[in-house]
Amino acid sequence: MHIAEGYLPPEQAAAWFVVSAPFVVHGSRALVRQVRADPESKLLLGAAGAFTFALSALKIPSVTGSSSHPTGTGLGAVLFRPPVMSVLGGIVLLFQALLLAHGGLSTLGANVFSMAIVGPWVAFGSYTMVRRAGGGMDPAVFAAAALGSLATYGVTVAQLALAFPDPTAGIVGALAKFGGIFAVTQIPLAISEGLLTVLVVRLLSRTSGDELRRLGLLRPAAEVRA
Amino acid sequence: MLPGPGSGSATLLAGSAASVFALDIAAHTGPWRGRHPAEKALLALGLLVCAVALPTWPGALLSGGAAAVLLAVARVPLVVVLRAARVPLLFVVTSTIPLLASMPAPLRLAIDPAGLPVAAQTAGRSVAALTCLLLFTATTPLSEVLPRLHRLGIPPAVTEVAALTYRMLFLLVESVRAVRQAQAARLGFRTWRSAYRSLAGQAGAVFVRALHRARRLEEGLAVRGYTGSLAVQVGAHRVSVPFVAATTALLGVIVMVSTGWVSPW
Repeated sequence: MHIAEGYLPPEQAAAWFVVSAPFVVHGSRALVRQVRADPESKLLLGAAGAFTFALSALKIPSVTGSSSHPTGTGLGAVLFRPPVMSVLGGIVLLFQALLLAHGGLSTLGANVFSMAIVGPWVAFGSYTMVRRAGGGMDPAVFAAAALGSLATYGVTVAQLALAFPDPTAGIVGALAKFGGIFAVTQIPLAISEGLLTVLVVRLLSRTSGDELRRLGLLRPAAEVRA
Repeated sequence: MLPGPGSGSATLLAGSAASVFALDIAAHTGPWRGRHPAEKALLALGLLVCAVALPTWPGALLSGGAAAVLLAVARVPLVVVLRAARVPLLFVVTSTIPLLASMPAPLRLAIDPAGLPVAAQTAGRSVAALTCLLLFTATTPLSEVLPRLHRLGIPPAVTEVAALTYRMLFLLVESVRAVRQAQAARLGFRTWRSAYRSLAGQAGAVFVRALHRARRLEEGLAVRGYTGSLAVQVGAHRVSVPFVAATTALLGVIVMVSTGWVSPW
């Protein structure tokens, strides 16, 4: 769920840039270090960014007969790790703004915070917790994708509520209003994205096991626990 | 009974890669293609800043209006603009509805007449800013912006990863479309179960293709003596002084009128 161009008041839009900046700078430094140590990894990172963008071209059918696209943050965070996703997610959000007019430049800071920072960290945290608790790959991947998507939705609703508090019930009332109106599409979408990501990882485990092992995804649960 | 996913197959087939990237295609084929990206950034992003930062009435109205006129001057097809604006406008409409209601008691909503000016101001600012963004995206090819981003202090490694992403995403989105079309022809979206299996197949195909593409690029660059630098040739454009002067004058007028320094009446 991208906040559209110009929707946030200017002070709030600027504040979200400030909040997102440390994460993106940290991710950029990690990326620069990685590229310096292994120049070829630049190509893999470019492919990872393009893959994340292409995921948004998938159309998940919804119960209303229309379709929506996955955020891809869960799968991206599990495959490429959250610090890298903060930069790749930022690049993808910039491309979505400049190529598709989804999101925007003034709201890029807010969208990066929800979709490239909080979403991937929640997804990666959920995946790691389920694996450490002895859960299998399927529940871990489902938790990562569904909770990552829900976290993105929750942060976006919070950003809108902070920008437009309810005149009588304040921020809590605004959270209920914005949360309620977007829950209709975002909660089913999060569940759909969880199910779809499980199917994708199952398929990739069969067809691209070597690549997933190289990315550190395919490991026995015992090793994750250690 | 809920509509099956197969009912949306027409929509699934409709989006070709060309329509996905219609704004970039318009930028590559439009009459402003030869203009320096900095000129267009000054104009469109200057208007965008005016739309967002100045008082909405008349700041957003003037900036958005100027951007709309300039879209016509730059001969951007109206259908491209309207198609691109659909999704963001849907967001604007949906998220403006809660501004028209207040919550006097828990779980109780009431129409709030005082919310109308806030809703109109927010929606007006957003539509104006969106028009300015479309002016930039529909006239400035991204391939000309990316190699210049390092001048803004962005590390070259990040801009090169962005450039590689840009070069690969056309292929990958086209792959998604081709796989989707093949799956639809084989009734791959007939039931919910088959639709999800088909979608997983699309994502899997894209992942494999992305990694193969990266590996082939790596091999191709290695035999050409790749040292870690991906220099690309950027088209040489001269900055037009009259264009910059006219842009500065336009932005100046909008700022002065919006802040009340000069009255239009």
